[in-house]
Amino acid sequence: MQNKINEIKKYILEKIKGIKNLKECQALRVEMFGKSGKFTELFKLIKDVPAEEKGKVGQILNTAKQEIEGLISDNERKMSEEEINKEIYSAEKIDITLPAEKCTGSLHPRTIIQREIEEVFTSMGFVVEDGNEVETEYNNFTAVNVPENHPARDMQDTFWLDNGEVLKTHTSASQNRILKKYTPPIRAIFPGRCFRNEDVDASHENTFFQLEGVIVDKDVSVGNLIYFMKEMLSKIFNKPVEVRLRPGFFPFTEPSFEMDVKCPFCDGKGCPTCKNGGWIELCPCGMIHPQVLRNGGLDPEVYSGCAFGLGLDRMTMLSTNLNDIRELNSGNLKLLKQFKIK
Amino acid sequence: MIISLNWIKEYVDLSGIEVDELVKRFGLSTAEIESVTHVGGDLKDIVVAKILSVENHPKSDHLHVLMVDDGSGSPVQVVCGAPNVRVGLKTFFCRVGGQVKDMKIKPVNMVGVSSNGMCCGGNELGIEADTSGIVELDESAVVGTDIHDILPVEDVLIEIDNKSLTNRPDLWGHYGIAREFAAIFNRKLKPLKLDDVSQYEKLKKLDIKVETKNCFRYTGITVENIARHTSTPLMKLRLNYCGMRDINLLADLTNYVMLELGQPMHAFDNAVVKGITVIENKKPVTMQTLEGEKHEIAPNSIIICDEAKEPVAIAGIKGGLKSGISESTNSLLIESACFDSATIRKTSRKIGLITDASLRYEKSLDPELCLTATERLLYLLKQADKNVKVTSSFTDVYNFKYPKITINTTADFISKRGGVKLSANKIADILTRLGFQVSVDKENLKVNVPTFRATKDVSIREDLVEEVFRMYGYDNIESAPMSMPLTPVDKIPTHELEYQIKFALASRFNLNEVHSYVWNYLDFNKQVGIKQTSVVHLIDASKSGQSGLRTMLTPTLLKFADENKNKFSEISIFEIGRTFDELDKNNLVNEKKKLSVVLASETQSEKNLYFKLKQIVEYVASELVNCKIEFNKTENEIYHPVNSCSVDSGNIHLGEMGILHPTIAKNIDKRKHFACLELDVNKFLETEKLAAKITHTSKFQAVSLDFNFVMDSTRPYADIDNIISNFKCNYIMEYCLKDVYKNEEVLKGKTSYTINITITPKDKTLTSEEIEKFSKRLIKTFEAQNINLRT
Repeated sequence: MQNKINEIKKYILEKIKGIKNLKECQALRVEMFGKSGKFTELFKLIKDVPAEEKGKVGQILNTAKQEIEGLISDNERKMSEEEINKEIYSAEKIDITLPAEKCTGSLHPRTIIQREIEEVFTSMGFVVEDGNEVETEYNNFTAVNVPENHPARDMQDTFWLDNGEVLKTHTSASQNRILKKYTPPIRAIFPGRCFRNEDVDASHENTFFQLEGVIVDKDVSVGNLIYFMKEMLSKIFNKPVEVRLRPGFFPFTEPSFEMDVKCPFCDGKGCPTCKNGGWIELCPCGMIHPQVLRNGGLDPEVYSGCAFGLGLDRMTMLSTNLNDIRELNSGNLKLLKQFKIK
Repeated sequence: MIISLNWIKEYVDLSGIEVDELVKRFGLSTAEIESVTHVGGDLKDIVVAKILSVENHPKSDHLHVLMVDDGSGSPVQVVCGAPNVRVGLKTFFCRVGGQVKDMKIKPVNMVGVSSNGMCCGGNELGIEADTSGIVELDESAVVGTDIHDILPVEDVLIEIDNKSLTNRPDLWGHYGIAREFAAIFNRKLKPLKLDDVSQYEKLKKLDIKVETKNCFRYTGITVENIARHTSTPLMKLRLNYCGMRDINLLADLTNYVMLELGQPMHAFDNAVVKGITVIENKKPVTMQTLEGEKHEIAPNSIIICDEAKEPVAIAGIKGGLKSGISESTNSLLIESACFDSATIRKTSRKIGLITDASLRYEKSLDPELCLTATERLLYLLKQADKNVKVTSSFTDVYNFKYPKITINTTADFISKRGGVKLSANKIADILTRLGFQVSVDKENLKVNVPTFRATKDVSIREDLVEEVFRMYGYDNIESAPMSMPLTPVDKIPTHELEYQIKFALASRFNLNEVHSYVWNYLDFNKQVGIKQTSVVHLIDASKSGQSGLRTMLTPTLLKFADENKNKFSEISIFEIGRTFDELDKNNLVNEKKKLSVVLASETQSEKNLYFKLKQIVEYVASELVNCKIEFNKTENEIYHPVNSCSVDSGNIHLGEMGILHPTIAKNIDKRKHFACLELDVNKFLETEKLAAKITHTSKFQAVSLDFNFVMDSTRPYADIDNIISNFKCNYIMEYCLKDVYKNEEVLKGKTSYTINITITPKDKTLTSEEIEKFSKRLIKTFEAQNINLRT
């Protein structure tokens, strides 16, 4: 038996020297340990060994098997490593500088900015409402306290429709519906397309987007408005901003303000964006007029609130460096395709 | 509106306050300032000089050679081109080394004669409108005196944004602005110098009749014996600095009082106009204005007529030529009146004539101002010409008085609204500075609104909040955090879905979002063959160019595709926008929120484009909305009559999609294939939502089987799909279409579909008998529908 084992060992050592690849190595394993392999045959001989020697012979066989298997495995390992190396170094070098297929889709810059701003508001607990583009005279004017004889109601300024309605002139047209829909405390914004009957040039559009917001609760003060606007604008511009209020005049708020923000592009030092003034006029706002609250079914003796409007087109132009507002409604794909999804 | 700071300082002492500070505080407390211009500093070494001699220039037919006495001791030779030079005339003379605006004066040789200085024209100096010659100064002017010692030429001109004064009729004159400055800086406002008209009470009354309720107040007074015809240099200077032109004393006075008090005034030649009737015209009236232009005045305007009922002025806008004053006028009827603001605005817009007067009347002027303005004008007239005689009493038809406004409020209310604790006395102090009368009783405030703020601006306690805090300084209000209950925020489904669709189309389907106008472009539609009839129209389409509102969104996107067709071989655009195709039973527009996609391609087949649309629709339905979707027959004129379909979910009609009608496609671009879809976004939210369906996985071996079915080519694949999806089977079954094969020679009117079906039992491995049984049953089911295995 020992002789036979030695013979096999010798045979293996010889054979291994000649092995060139993994396949041959695996074949050798089968030759030894397969169903009728050389070593398997040796094990079959055990049944002929006298019972008292069976243990000893078994032990010898097992030791020899381990040894031979070890030799084959080592060789296998070596071969597979060689083969992987061969595969690696014979592989085609991929030119990763070649262009990959690009995402060519784009959102309109207004959509991108609008969503960014909406996310700031939703993070502050505001609901984002949807409004109509055609509104009744009541919603657009009367409900928000625009007097009967106000010039805004004139044909020259407003797109009146032949059914008696108007293309909404401001997002405030949604205020009445929203004040009626919710019970205080109310926090809502309502972005939308607005229209003015005016001549179009680089800085005037007859079709433009606004985003308006209202906050209604007990004892809302001008101090609250300042706090809120500062927090909100800091988030939008992604840095702490300074704001200031100046007197403004709108029928739907009393008092009314123009809110300026210290130019976030030059920190108030003066640049082309702020026309060297250091401040950007950004946001008309004010304390909601008691008549507007009353029209919305809220008691001004109990509640007060503030409202503010952001010109989405202006915000879009500020953040994209566009200087002609007409581009926004132009369908100029050369321009629009440059915008991404965020 | 331009404000002269020197003029303001006539009424309020602002000494010790820098101009920058004045401007800043005014901007933060009152109104927006557009620009601040320092003027007059560029008038240097300009003195009064007397012309001693005038000789014709030897080589020029219009120049003169003058010797002037400029007070320096020795006469100076100067060449001058002005026609009004004469010996003895006193004028402004700029010495060599001096400066007239951006012109530095040096000795020059003018056509062979040396000239050492310049005689100045009023227009050159900016102190008069006259351009015809050099300034003619009064005999009393002292030779050698610097211009700065005679006239306040050095001034700061502040331009205020008119729009920010729309609600403040009281700020349309210098005196009102001075009142604001006084209040802001807590200085005293000086009273106006007036000529008290009560002294003329006994004189004859004028014949003034007011026949319209839109004339709130009409006052008149007559004067005569006017000898002086030119205004004082100061008055001319101020008019010019404030953007007006000096004309003659009487015209200048009316303008001066308007700039000072904000009250427009008009002077009629009393020789022409003896009595006044104010009417509202029922028919159009034609009148020639002072400038000689003829205007047709639309009905329902206010017209000033003379005693013969002939129109002499368009009330509040412009005077008529016939009754206008000239240098020779020596008796006047002075109008000071107040009209309804809306009526003036409408007339002014209708005839296209916006004047300094109409701009002011539009703001709802205080009728009380009529009297003050007349008294001020008379004072100034008498100052200019001592011999003027008033010949009538102040005749006053005062038909509409604004009600007196008293506001009761508390210090607590004002403080809470502002967010700053202020005492009642502090509030009373601020309001008093602004002309309010305030009585304080502990916390309670009783505030009488002055007439000049009571025409529309201040009427409720919230208005007082504004008055108090704009004076207190908005920048002094501390920012104050708000606290609100912790409640979840609703998401509005229509708004969310809109954004999700936009995001998916751009990021997954490589589409480009556009924004368009809501008009129905008739010309484009006609050109390419789209029929679109609007349901609602703009009444005035002069600025938009189109009057109808769109009923479909796709034509607008096709227009964009048309505009971009030569720049791109592939166009994939979309928009979510509104259409206006329906009126409800109350005649109100029932607008729709539509998604439109237009695909145009030079490389993709129509079929590929059509399928891309299908992919989009299915993505929205299954991934964003979770509703089922069907494609049914449609008839819509803009689509290909064969290759288009209606998109539905149950009985909810979502819209249409298809290949664009070949006629329209060819009219836009022959090189491209077009496909488009238009869906109602909000309708998706009305669909029935599918129940969430999760199939459990099995650990037993799956069996994958391929079947080749042949079916008449006229039948849709959906027939096969329906059979499989309705096939009852105890195993987990998945299937897909692997291949479609068409070959007329071999299949003869039929199409072959290779379907791969995978079956997996939940609890065992299938035997070959069971697999056989499954196949046979499936094939039989197909055969029953005339679909056979390919042999």
